[in-house]
Amino acid sequence: MPPDLAADATGATDERFKTVLDRLITMSQRDYYDPYTLFDWPESLPEDAWWMSPELLTLHNTEYGKTLTEKQLRAVSRWESLNFYSLNVHGIRELLTEMIARIHTDEFALPSEYFHHVIGEENEHMWFFAKFCLNYGRIYPNRAMAFAGPGIPEADHFLVFSRLLIFEEIVDVFNQKMGVDDRLHPTIQQVNQVHHQDESRHIAFGRQAVALLHARLRDTLGQGELAELERYLKQYMRSSVDSMVSPAVYRDAGLPEPYQVRRAVLADPAHEDYTRTVLRRSVSFMVNEKIFSDDRIPPACPN
Amino acid sequence: MPELTNEPTTATNTVGIAFIVDYLLTKRPDLDSIDPDLDLIESRVLDSLGFVNFLYALEEHTGREISLDQVSPEDFRTVNRIAARFLHDVAND
Ligand SMILES: [Fe+2]
Ligand SMILES: [Fe+2]
Repeated sequence: MPPDLAADATGATDERFKTVLDRLITMSQRDYYDPYTLFDWPESLPEDAWWMSPELLTLHNTEYGKTLTEKQLRAVSRWESLNFYSLNVHGIRELLTEMIARIHTDEFALPSEYFHHVIGEENEHMWFFAKFCLNYGRIYPNRAMAFAGPGIPEADHFLVFSRLLIFEEIVDVFNQKMGVDDRLHPTIQQVNQVHHQDESRHIAFGRQAVALLHARLRDTLGQGELAELERYLKQYMRSSVDSMVSPAVYRDAGLPEPYQVRRAVLADPAHEDYTRTVLRRSVSFMVNEKIFSDDRIPPACPN
Repeated sequence: MPELTNEPTTATNTVGIAFIVDYLLTKRPDLDSIDPDLDLIESRVLDSLGFVNFLYALEEHTGREISLDQVSPEDFRTVNRIAARFLHDVAND
């Protein structure tokens, strides 16, 4: 295995990757801010307002959602917004754990300087997401449990950076819209806007890393194993999208039979539109890089 | 106060085990039965992707939110262990 993430026989890839890393480090230094003083945290946020763009609600356009009043949908938006930041808190925990496991190891010598920036920034993201939840609601518990992956040890780094990239791309779909949505409280807009700014660099890095790691795997793995990686990542995308569909959110919003609501949402054709909206960018990246052979994501499983 | 027990042979656990086995069999229609000591993770009856649905089914059945901060994959390794960990005192709530 080559001595670092990007080295190939000619060293050409190495140079390109290094140029990208240098550019990201410069941008990261230029955009540096102090999160602990940046935000305005009001005592409370108005409870009956929109806390999430209504078009991004899991209930949007579903048959069940159509039976609710706007007041009920706004209540759902409040708890779904909190669940979204909670998923960020838990996702960042995984990200930090995996990056810290790799920084300044031989294989990751080249990107380690940039890892310092990502780790620092993600620590701050986790702080402001957690702060938001604790100030205005609660941190929802983590629902993901780490069982064994597809059992292809050579693909370990590739799968880790792919999962992190998919996570960051999904989050950014929400951040981009909510960061400029005037229906939302300025603090909600600001949290999303600030996060989007940093994540555009992380996503640029993630895309480079994932493309390089996959290119290397194409030389060593067979077609069957590559197909297994594709299957695994598509399932990961599906479960990431469906993690927004939370009975705890529906219960907190005052909806009866919250588990039944979750099943109804997952079975609703509108959930496929939701899935496409949330995954569009990450799926097209995977297809363009030939990591995916097509853009079909496995269907949601309501039961 | 009724005695709490982890023994899988109590009446409560028989119901609990039947619930878990029925649920898992709908996930794996290729299986005719699931031994309560079968390794569910090794045999891929449970994986991280189907896990959330199972977790919610358990929560709905017990009426209690399960916090994953306090459990590990080991708690889900066999039907008996799941019943002992999550269902042993349902009837006493
Ligand atoms: Fe972040
Ligand atoms: Fe990030």
